[in-house]
Amino acid sequence: MLDFLPQQLFLFDPLSLFFLFVIFIVCLPSAIYSFGYLKGEYSLGKIILSWFLLVIFVLSMAAVVTVGNVLIFLVAWEIMSLVSYFLVVFDTTHEKSIRAGAIYIIMTHIGTAFLVAAFLVMHKYAHSFDFMAIKNACLTMPAPTKDVVFLLLLVGFGTKAGIVPLHIWLPYAHPQAPSHISSIMSGVMIKTAIYGIIRFVIFLLGVNSSWWGVLILILAVISCLVGVIYALMEHDIKRLLAYHSVENIGIILLGVGLAMFFTSLGLSYLAVFSLIAGLYHLINHAIFKGLLFLCAGSVYKATGTRDIEKLGGLIKTMPYTAAYFLLGAMAISALPPLNGFVSEWLTLQAFFLGALNVTGGVKLFLGICAGLLALTSGLAAACFVKAFGITFLAQPRSHYAKEAKEVSLSMKAGMFLLSFLTVIFGLAAAVIMKLLVRVAGAAMGTDISKMSFSLNNFTLSPQVGKGIYLSVPLLALWLIVLGIAGFILYMLLGRKKTVIYKTWDCGYYKLGPRNEYTGTAFSKPFRIAFSFFLMPYRKTEKVRESFYHIKSFAYETHTTFVFKKYIYEPLIALVLKSAKFMRRIQPGSIHLYLAYIFSALLLLIIFMHKF
Amino acid sequence: MCWGLSQVFALFWEFSMQSIILFGVLVSTYLMVIAKRTPALIRSFRYQSFCLFLATVIIALREHELDLYVVAGLLFILKVVFIPQLLYRTIKKIKASEELGLFINPQLSLLWALGFTYLSWVFAVYLIGAHDAVQVIMLAIAFFVVLAGIFLMIFRMTALAQIIGLLVMENGIFLLASMVSGGMPFFVEIAIFFDVFVSVLIMGFFVYKINKFFTHIDVNKLSRLKG
Amino acid sequence: MKIILILLQLIFFIVVAPFLSGLITKIKNSLRMRKGQGVFQPYHNLIKLFSKGGVVSETASWIFKVTPFIVVSSTLTVALLVPVFILSSPLYRMGDFLAIIFIFALGRFFLALAALDTGSSFGGMGSSREMFISSLVEPALCLVVFSIFLQFGSTNISVFNGMHPVSVSSMVGAIALFLVAIAETSRIPVDNQETHLELTMVHEAMVLEYSGASLALIEIASYIKQMTWFFLIAQIIFPIAAPSSINLTGLFSWSLWYFARILIIVIAVALVEVSVAKMRLFRVADFLGFVFVLGVIASICAILGI
Repeated sequence: MLDFLPQQLFLFDPLSLFFLFVIFIVCLPSAIYSFGYLKGEYSLGKIILSWFLLVIFVLSMAAVVTVGNVLIFLVAWEIMSLVSYFLVVFDTTHEKSIRAGAIYIIMTHIGTAFLVAAFLVMHKYAHSFDFMAIKNACLTMPAPTKDVVFLLLLVGFGTKAGIVPLHIWLPYAHPQAPSHISSIMSGVMIKTAIYGIIRFVIFLLGVNSSWWGVLILILAVISCLVGVIYALMEHDIKRLLAYHSVENIGIILLGVGLAMFFTSLGLSYLAVFSLIAGLYHLINHAIFKGLLFLCAGSVYKATGTRDIEKLGGLIKTMPYTAAYFLLGAMAISALPPLNGFVSEWLTLQAFFLGALNVTGGVKLFLGICAGLLALTSGLAAACFVKAFGITFLAQPRSHYAKEAKEVSLSMKAGMFLLSFLTVIFGLAAAVIMKLLVRVAGAAMGTDISKMSFSLNNFTLSPQVGKGIYLSVPLLALWLIVLGIAGFILYMLLGRKKTVIYKTWDCGYYKLGPRNEYTGTAFSKPFRIAFSFFLMPYRKTEKVRESFYHIKSFAYETHTTFVFKKYIYEPLIALVLKSAKFMRRIQPGSIHLYLAYIFSALLLLIIFMHKF
Repeated sequence: MCWGLSQVFALFWEFSMQSIILFGVLVSTYLMVIAKRTPALIRSFRYQSFCLFLATVIIALREHELDLYVVAGLLFILKVVFIPQLLYRTIKKIKASEELGLFINPQLSLLWALGFTYLSWVFAVYLIGAHDAVQVIMLAIAFFVVLAGIFLMIFRMTALAQIIGLLVMENGIFLLASMVSGGMPFFVEIAIFFDVFVSVLIMGFFVYKINKFFTHIDVNKLSRLKG
Repeated sequence: MKIILILLQLIFFIVVAPFLSGLITKIKNSLRMRKGQGVFQPYHNLIKLFSKGGVVSETASWIFKVTPFIVVSSTLTVALLVPVFILSSPLYRMGDFLAIIFIFALGRFFLALAALDTGSSFGGMGSSREMFISSLVEPALCLVVFSIFLQFGSTNISVFNGMHPVSVSSMVGAIALFLVAIAETSRIPVDNQETHLELTMVHEAMVLEYSGASLALIEIASYIKQMTWFFLIAQIIFPIAAPSSINLTGLFSWSLWYFARILIIVIAVALVEVSVAKMRLFRVADFLGFVFVLGVIASICAILGI
């Protein structure tokens, strides 16, 4: 059994280095941020404990993405899950944290169980735990076995990544963790699951069937839409961001799924391009989701609440946080010239270019997927208009928001680092593409020496000869130049005296914060448009003084959580029912228990007699 | 079964002493199984242990080993003198009824015991073949004593019956070991005796405590250990 | 040379766009049997707005003040990407049709934020409806771009420049694009530019708080956006090649046809505005679903090759 001692413990190929880089660029700002964040919240001992756990967490994630041995991978994976569980329930005074941690640990262990099953099957063929040996063995694995292993890996990594319908732990765990931990979890930890899929399915297993890619595409599209629709309905900032993580994992998986699909069809150029799109969105999402969670944490620390319906007007009291949140919101809504725009553009181009090389019905499938991706990006923009607008703009809606103050320097520094990276990763798109080509080539094992996706250091060109170009620096330049031109026009022509006065109130002179739009009202059109999925129900309560005079009116609206209600609760009820049924064999009488032992013994004797 | 009994009588001529002793063990076990009251049970246990002591002495005489003498002596002191005395004292202390709650009435219990005897004989034949009659019978009786111990634990209600069932099982295993392999290693025997001694002390104490708390020692009524 | 072309294109857009809007209003009024305002009224409006002082709400922040510039810059950037003088656009290396979708989204994002900034219910309502409509427009638009891509092999906007055969796919795609343009430029049946009642306004609700030069900038931006859409649609439906002969009559007839096709689209928009009523907000969702289906049909036609 000495095969568990790894011949080559670490595997430092470009894919691992890329993921190490992702871990680094998110964990460093979050760590800087946590100085200021934890200062007033917990005692010194607890802060030291949280630092200790953070270090182990980061190290375990680094181990997950760099080890070359399946057993050590599992160990690192388990350590990562356990330490993140402790970090999620760090705030033990809140009963919600405990519950969130329970759901998280159960879901992640279910996923790990599937992973162990998949690894055992792979070990059976390879007789070794080493990645390279498994890779060689998988060439000779029969196709049905490969399918089974693929499905096991998909469920195992999908639970950690947050693919629908295995995503239910995300909206519980991410809000309850301390904000810097949320940013690391959402920015990096769920990406390690994507690393797992790329490493184990594409690199080790080798994609030969096209239905794998199609399955991942369908799951990814569903994740996108479900994530963004639920995000629109949320009014807790961090839950909103957690649902957006589900959506963005869907977008990343669109790229990965396309890569798998094209590999199975033999279109290696397009496969590399799609994988690049997926990886680019991965690092972009890590950056801007990390940034958004840090900003949400700043808001929470300054105001004490995460409920956006109680906030407002924070842009005046917390200008830096507002500016960074705006950058993050722009990035996640895929607005030029930031990084989210580039990766969504690349993903859409991957769909389009792929459609040229496939036959009939599949073309339409790819086109509709692209259309649904455009829908999610539109919905995401709407959601962030709501999140940023209701939280930061207009007047404060409660005393929480009135008493907010800007956060400390270390928190600002952490947020600044990430927003700086957001801008850089958008402008330097062409340069980053050149690096990502090497990563994708290593992941897929194809020869990338002749592939080039950038025209020069400023322009992206997905396919030579098609004439499709995107130059983000040029775009940014022209946006700024034309904006300045508009400003000059304004100054030259129109700069008369500007008067500051109240908002136009239509003659109703008592405009206050209650007249402002609320988050629930903002998302009402979406709630109605998607009511077939959300199944909202509402409760109204009228208190009348007389028939004509209504004293008060309370309005409550809820959306049904489809996955919880129709998938998980029946499953749990079934498990509990069968457990209750099995309880009948234990009535409490010691004699009966002894009789069980005795009859077992007797049966054994008779058995032995038979055989 | 008749053939088995005739075998026994055949052996009577060969190894009369050993046979009488084994016969004594068998009969005392039957007595235990049909006992209706606790003192009767303890008395039968005493007889069984005495037969066991005699058997060990005979083996010791045959093998001329000092260890076996010591073991036999310990057996006498503990299981013939001390433990039954302890159990009688416990009964007196708890002042509970001496009724040994029976799930199965004595006659039916006897039938079960006969069935167990046959079963253990079949098993013994299966294990070592039908040629060596002496060994077969010894093995069979040893198995039967173990089964009788389990029977006592399951089908008698009070806690004292369970203790005694455990002790009977231990007797059976001792018998098995000494019949089959001439006794277990010396230190193991000492350790087992010590364990048994301590367990009975503790269990006796617990019975007293159970009685003090629940005012009865009917284990059937203690059914909170549910699923 | 490129800079001159870019400047020419910018000036062309800024100068001609209000004229198109005025033209639409004039045609609508004629159809309604009214005299109405003149064709050059938008110019007068803009001059008036530039000469007025502005009122800024006290709850507004820097976003409110910065938004007009961002809206103008995003619209003008798209205007630069559209090929106007028949050559491919001077900045074809900057972006393609897909980038246009996202650049428009930039302007819309900030306009919606500015509307929420003022803290009035009108603004919130306008931005909520606008984001709702635009998020449903995006898949339809994406699918139309997809059908164009399947037909021409590239999402570069200059690719359908010059003569290309008019196929069923491009027809259906152009109709879908026309309906998308109606949604994006806030025309009936999606939105009414002429009213300021909360039941009927979407885009106007967002810009309700703006006044003076800021409002002038936003108005110019919306005119230019409209003109950009018209040019795109015209190029798809009525392809026109470079002028065959450089003599005066050839050039004259060519430029006549060049502007005539824009005029046809303008008349079509005016007809649509006059003939139908504005839809309820949730019926707009069905309408945009219909446009999505049109996009799917266009893609299927492109796949089939017709």
